[in-house]
Amino acid sequence: MANHRITRITDARPDPTLDAYLAELAARLRGPRRRRDAILTELRDGLEHATDHHIAAGLPPELAATTAINQFGTPQAVTVAFAGELAAAYARRTIAALVATGPLVGIWWLLLLQPSPWRTGLTALVAAIPVIPLIAIAITAVGATLATTGRLMRWLPETSPHRALAATTAIAAVCLLGDLSMVTIGVLSGLPTRPLLAIAIAASLTRIAACITTIRHTTQMRHS
Amino acid sequence: MRPEVLKGHLDALLLAVLEAGPQHGYAVIEALRAGSDGALDLPTGTVYPALHRLERAGLIASDWQTVGGRRRRAYHLTPAGQAALGEQRAVWDQFSTAVTALLTRRPWPTTG
Repeated sequence: MANHRITRITDARPDPTLDAYLAELAARLRGPRRRRDAILTELRDGLEHATDHHIAAGLPPELAATTAINQFGTPQAVTVAFAGELAAAYARRTIAALVATGPLVGIWWLLLLQPSPWRTGLTALVAAIPVIPLIAIAITAVGATLATTGRLMRWLPETSPHRALAATTAIAAVCLLGDLSMVTIGVLSGLPTRPLLAIAIAASLTRIAACITTIRHTTQMRHS
Repeated sequence: MRPEVLKGHLDALLLAVLEAGPQHGYAVIEALRAGSDGALDLPTGTVYPALHRLERAGLIASDWQTVGGRRRRAYHLTPAGQAALGEQRAVWDQFSTAVTALLTRRPWPTTG
């Protein structure tokens, strides 16, 4: 076992059999690009290590590479095995991005539609910006999904990757609905056209496009 | 041994293998195979996702290194992983004692 420890030093070299296997895997894996690249780099190292192991045991190089590939499983099996982790990574990254960009969109609408200074409290805020309940629902769903797909899943019930994707779809749909509502309010409110309104609408339209892309991706991943 | 038999136990086995020190993915798989005298011979490509899930749960962590021109990801236990391993060992001891007691063949009691 000691010869497999991380201190083992071997030279990297191209291998057409391994390259073809990894190319097929690269074509099948769905998810964030950086995560896919990391998986392929890790699998390449493992395959080369396994090939070296079989060569050391006396197999000719080509047979050693084929044996290593058989040991790893078919591209289809490996793709299915990684689908959950890639889905979870996509869900976590996407909802984190929606949370991070939320204030960049919301701030413009808040500046435009903030309630009069003499009307304070949550009721006045909701009357001025009716999508606030939607934002609260989205934030709750985001918190629950991040908690149950990350480190807190040691203590909380783990959310399956399929459910994490469903939650991401729902969160994107809520954001989409919120932004559509705000754009409609902005257009119909009779507010004078000014740079602030244009910026707010542009920000919401950008996020609407991002949400549509997210819903398309999550739907594809759930049905792949 | 079929992979589905291991369902629910693979996490503990991977943590146990990493208890000895940092190892890369293929070494972990080889250690599983060697440590079980070949009984745990899982499809290698399916063990990596289990390592990634343990990392997502914060039970292990990884570092990328360059060894001999290759980029290699080495995993190690986190303190939370060490604690989880201890808990899972205790659960397994209790479970295996109970199951062994029930499954062990005993001679039928004689009558008359």
